[in-house]
Amino acid sequence: MSAPLAKVADAERVLDVANLRAYYQTWHFGVSRDVRAVDGVTLHVDRNEIYGLAGESSCGKSTLIRTIVRAIRPPLAVVEGSVRFDFGGRACDIYALDRARLAGIRWRHLSYILQGSMNVLNPVRRVRESFVDFAFRHIGKPMPQFLALVEDHLARLRLDPAVLGSFPHELSGGMRQRVTIALASVCRPDFIVADEPTTALDVVVQKDVLALLREVQRQIRSSMILVTHDIGVHANATDRLGVMYAGRLIEEGRTGEVIREPRHPYTAQLVTSLPRIGDIEPKQGLDGAPPSLAAPPPGCRFHPRCPLAMEMCRREHPPMVEVAAGHRVACWVKAPPGGMAAP
Amino acid sequence: MFTVLRDLLRYRTEFRFGAILTGFIAAFAALSLVSPYPPQDQFVVPPDLPPSWSYWFGTTSRGQDVFWQLTFAIRNTMLFGLSVAVLSRLVSIAIGMWSGYKGGIVDRLLMSVNDTFIVIPLFPLLVLFYFVLRDRMSWPLLALAMASLGWAYDARLIRAVALSLSSREFTQQCVFSGMRTREIVFQEHLPYVLPIVFYTTMNNMNWSIGLEVTLSVLGFTDIDTPTVGVMIYWANQHTALVAGVWWWVFFPVLFVMILFIGLFLLAISTNEYIDPRSRLARMGDVSG
Repeated sequence: MSAPLAKVADAERVLDVANLRAYYQTWHFGVSRDVRAVDGVTLHVDRNEIYGLAGESSCGKSTLIRTIVRAIRPPLAVVEGSVRFDFGGRACDIYALDRARLAGIRWRHLSYILQGSMNVLNPVRRVRESFVDFAFRHIGKPMPQFLALVEDHLARLRLDPAVLGSFPHELSGGMRQRVTIALASVCRPDFIVADEPTTALDVVVQKDVLALLREVQRQIRSSMILVTHDIGVHANATDRLGVMYAGRLIEEGRTGEVIREPRHPYTAQLVTSLPRIGDIEPKQGLDGAPPSLAAPPPGCRFHPRCPLAMEMCRREHPPMVEVAAGHRVACWVKAPPGGMAAP
Repeated sequence: MFTVLRDLLRYRTEFRFGAILTGFIAAFAALSLVSPYPPQDQFVVPPDLPPSWSYWFGTTSRGQDVFWQLTFAIRNTMLFGLSVAVLSRLVSIAIGMWSGYKGGIVDRLLMSVNDTFIVIPLFPLLVLFYFVLRDRMSWPLLALAMASLGWAYDARLIRAVALSLSSREFTQQCVFSGMRTREIVFQEHLPYVLPIVFYTTMNNMNWSIGLEVTLSVLGFTDIDTPTVGVMIYWANQHTALVAGVWWWVFFPVLFVMILFIGLFLLAISTNEYIDPRSRLARMGDVSG
């Protein structure tokens, strides 16, 4: 199911990930072990689009985006596949770049809001110094102009430029998160990757942070990948949604469509777990736990927990099949290749 | 850093005392600049006089004024401690931070060297060092030798902090934004480590001064340059205590003890400032 590389030239696409496999490879006492955290993921992100990634904890969401931005350290290694970016006509494979060119892309074109990003600011340096440390080299302007630009940027995001003079511990959690978003967007990158930007914030602050992310995206017209396990956030903020389970992408489509009409049994369960106003039915949980990524089950990785599992599911991994325009599902039952959808 | 020092001076009695004692010793050492006699000269004053208005700390059996001799001795001892501390800080910061940040094989190699330095017995090694060098022995050389032996404990301490810093989010962000290792370590991590460095500097000075006095008293250093240990050495050579010339031993010991206590107080009060647990314990005391 690898997407043809020629499509990268398509001006609409900013990111094209083809059949990406990234494993944590360890070797201890003569025993080597691969943890297949990302296993054959193919996806693309269009210009000016917010792409959501959903899935439960330890399903490989964070590993996937770390691999996408090439912020990986051993034992994590890319085994197969490619990650290609296209920043306004300059296409590149991020794993083919040398150090200098990679540094040239980062922050200017591609920036990354880390998981737990409230701790991204160095606790012993003022916020202004963090801006200088991270972004100054990428802007290429003299210091006074750079600082003026930072203040402008903060003002545009309706943040008080006075935060520049404070230490991170003087700011509240939500404030720190907003400063981090401002920090990631100060160079007006074409592509922003946000890993769980709203986790650990209460709902009121969550709303503000999401509004800020959308505001950033509207102002600088960048594309974005937003990772969170919170389907409610996805419904609010993203254009398209990909659902991951045990290292694989299992369903992808327009967010509204995926949530309204989930095809994959796992997505269906995930969506039904959302409480609705007026709903008084008790929620049914899924039995079992996600499989170990070091020894995933053969065939479809969801089959041990799937209520619809068939013989086929235990033997072979289902391919991603397009069931409607732009809506792809990997399930033998719901989306068999050849189009004879089971009832 | 300056606000920290100001706060410590204002609110911590131990720190204030420590600063006063250390400052007093430093001022005393500064008097060596206006000494009427060069330190090596002998029989410039009548020998064996007890403390009096004309010779405050008495005179030695070698015809030296203990007061002026002590200004040189304290100055050299302090400079010695300071240079050992500064030199060994350079090594321990570099090795500790690099090892902690890099991790993996670099860490294992550096730490095995580090642990070797921790376990080898220093005193016999320094005595051996003296017997190899003999007449060429001087205090800068001894300082160099002690600095290259005394960095290991603190390198391990600094490495532990750097190890924890290297896995924090802001470090990942630094790497992502394309900062070089040197920049990350010195710009981002060093401010975090500095209070610990400050604390270990004073501990290291105490350690090196103590060891230097021990070596000098036994005569295993350059005995022509006056230090506190060398003064005691000469007093012993002239059996000062048997002869009743107690002031020759008393004043050097008193002054080096004041210096020790001063540095110790500075060290523990900064430690309390760095370690939030002891700060909290103190707050508990205050509130009852």
